[in-house]
Amino acid sequence: MAAGVAAWLPFARAAAIGWMPVASAPMPAPPRDKRRTQDGLIILNVSGSRFQTWRNTLERYPDTLLGSTERDFFYHEETNEYFFDRDPDIFRHILNFYRTGKLHYPRHECISAYDEELAFFGIIPEIIGDCCYEEYKDRRRENAERIEDDEDKDNSNDLPPPDMSFRETMWRAFENPHTSTMALVFYYVTGFFIAVSVMANVVETVPCGKTQNRVEMSCGDRYALAFFCLDTACVMIFTVEYLLRLMAAPNRFKFVKSVMSVIDVVAIMPYYIGLVMSDNEDVSGAFVTLRVFRVFRIFKFSRHSAGLRILGYTLKSCASELGFLLFSLTMAIIIFATVMFYAEKGSTASKFTSIPAAFWYTIVTMTTLGYGDMVPKTIVGKVFGSICSLSGVLVIALPVPVIVSNFSRIYHQSQRAEKRRAQKKTRLARIHATKSGGTNAYLQYKRNGLLAETEEEACKEAGQALVCKANPVFETEHHHLLHCLEKTTNHEFVDEQTFKSSCLEVSMVKAPSRSSSISSATSGGGGGLSSCCSRRNKRKSFTVSNANMAGRRGSVQELSTIQIRERPITNSRSSLNAKFDETVRLNSEPPYLTAAVISMPTPPVTTPEGDESASTPDFLQSNIVRVSAL
Amino acid sequence: MSQCRKRCKRQLTKVARYFYRFVTGTLTQDSIEDDFELSTVCHRPEGLDKLQEQTKFTKKELQVLYRGFKNECPSGVVNEETFKHIYSQFFPQGDSSTYAHFLFEAFDTNKNGSVSFEDFVAGLSIILRGSINDRLNWAFNLYDLNKDGCITKEEMMDIMRSIYDMMGKYTYPCMQDDAPREHVENFFQKMDRNQDGVVTIEEFIESCQKDENIMQSMQLFDNVI
Repeated sequence: MAAGVAAWLPFARAAAIGWMPVASAPMPAPPRDKRRTQDGLIILNVSGSRFQTWRNTLERYPDTLLGSTERDFFYHEETNEYFFDRDPDIFRHILNFYRTGKLHYPRHECISAYDEELAFFGIIPEIIGDCCYEEYKDRRRENAERIEDDEDKDNSNDLPPPDMSFRETMWRAFENPHTSTMALVFYYVTGFFIAVSVMANVVETVPCGKTQNRVEMSCGDRYALAFFCLDTACVMIFTVEYLLRLMAAPNRFKFVKSVMSVIDVVAIMPYYIGLVMSDNEDVSGAFVTLRVFRVFRIFKFSRHSAGLRILGYTLKSCASELGFLLFSLTMAIIIFATVMFYAEKGSTASKFTSIPAAFWYTIVTMTTLGYGDMVPKTIVGKVFGSICSLSGVLVIALPVPVIVSNFSRIYHQSQRAEKRRAQKKTRLARIHATKSGGTNAYLQYKRNGLLAETEEEACKEAGQALVCKANPVFETEHHHLLHCLEKTTNHEFVDEQTFKSSCLEVSMVKAPSRSSSISSATSGGGGGLSSCCSRRNKRKSFTVSNANMAGRRGSVQELSTIQIRERPITNSRSSLNAKFDETVRLNSEPPYLTAAVISMPTPPVTTPEGDESASTPDFLQSNIVRVSAL
Repeated sequence: MSQCRKRCKRQLTKVARYFYRFVTGTLTQDSIEDDFELSTVCHRPEGLDKLQEQTKFTKKELQVLYRGFKNECPSGVVNEETFKHIYSQFFPQGDSSTYAHFLFEAFDTNKNGSVSFEDFVAGLSIILRGSINDRLNWAFNLYDLNKDGCITKEEMMDIMRSIYDMMGKYTYPCMQDDAPREHVENFFQKMDRNQDGVVTIEEFIESCQKDENIMQSMQLFDNVI
């Protein structure tokens, strides 16, 4: 029921007086009006902007935050108002929804911010009014595509888990040639052979000198053996490639059904069919036709060219516009062909022998080609011919902008995705730097904190201790928490350099499950780290902390822990004097070292220690970079 | 004949103007601007004090009522369409337009096709704050469609059918087609004292006062607002 008419409910109830005298049964008792509250004003303080409204206005929608008792949680007694620490600009729209019953979407607001506010206040976005709903949905879709793009590219770009099977490595190599040099080589070789094969097909038909009896011979006939060898070589390469892809595909059935695989098959089939049925006269005609399919090899280039793929995708997405274009053209062709036929019927030696014959004229005229092999001779024919060409321009010009704009949208989207990917590297590098800054803060605190046990040390390190004291309460409590964790697990946090230096001496144990090994799509720090170690230890997998890593965590955003090795206290003392940026060189042999750093957390599902280790370092970064979703 | 010729001439000029605009390329639709001088009539009710004198509502109640009224009808008057639309929001299952039409007739005391806030509040005042007799009078006025002082069987049939329409299709037990008719028969049996086929106001009030159920149901309206 619309909000506004809620105010008319008393009227509707009053109007029931018409039913009373004719009622066949006694009326039910009216509801006891328990809360006959006065309709007072409520003050809503949203980050300093005061909004006021009637209590009844808010209670029109009892299943939202403001309309239910949930708002009592935000009641601020000292000022007798409800305080919300949210965005006041967006709140304006939300409050308007209560007032008018219509929710509007402000075009200048970020769609995710708006969505968050709606979710906070318990309003479902589906009730956005018709005036703004389309815009809202479009923006939402764009945003989702953008995020999806990011994730897809990230998935394909992140460094491979080190313990992929050979089959998976191969599939990765095929799908993404930049993963390894072998893949790149393969990519270029196949590209080269596609080009060679297509060129050979083309050159085959070029006339290439004469035989004895003055018959023009094509190159294909003259150098038949050479071309045959070339063709064989190309087909062999393509076959090998296809079989390799088929073998490596994670889902063979899906692969066989995909467009590219069909193109591959069609590209190599003619050769084999030719081999099988060579020298058979009656089917050689069909065989010649089959050779036409060799030209499909050129489509294999679409694996190599993003532009081709975009074009193909555009055509697919504009299928309805293309269909409309075809349909309208067909209609126009039939109309004009008929008219031209009857107009030219009278003239002698007219080429317009039938309506289908006139189709050719109409098509050539409407697309403004004008070959001139068929021209109208009568005046009427010429008049209609000119109308035909004019309308042809119109009919073709209409759907084309739609297709063009579609292509432009998709092209720009892919360009944006490329740009984002490039930017992401620098962004992640910066995020990594700040993250390690956060980690460093803790390590620094630790040194100071351990110090502060004795007075003299505190005085000696007055400078650093001051820094320690100047830390806000939040940080000190957080550091204490991390310290507790260290004591619990009997390991210590170290910084990246220290870890890296001992990375090589890590004793590797196969990870319990593939998914739990390092995969750091979203965390630059984790990614950097794992990349370092993965490059040094190509095939070795990483130990996984006892604390976390469930096999269930197959998602990209998972936790991989770098565990720290034992470090005797003496080392920390000696490292006091070391400047902070220098890595803490650990002279003693690390007894055991495992890897652990946290990337964006999904709620950890393992032991509590694991939970802490998962969540706390994120807290480290939370005050610097809000990557944590805690 | 001359009228026909005049009309023809007018059509011709319109066609000629159309072709002229077609050729010169200004085929704009002028009619849109003509429609634009909407009837932005705005009616303001009389002062709050005056209304308070005329009706039995308190100031606060009048304020609440007016705010709701103005929210839905910013122009200050309700026309029948809006009235029907508002009323239909309360009865999504059935078709309440006929009953809303009768209500509109009852509220629109000066028969000008629109209900202003004064009419609205006057009606509500009688129903919600009036005596039992006033309420019964108002109900009688509602039933008496042609306002001639007596309710005939046809009028009652219309009213009854409109009430049953509000129920909609999905009822339990299934709505029979002659349910309204039966109901009207019962009503007339009860109300029509002298069996002359119409119910006058005196008969109506007398019969209602004798009926315990009706009396009790009239009390329902005391706490509506």
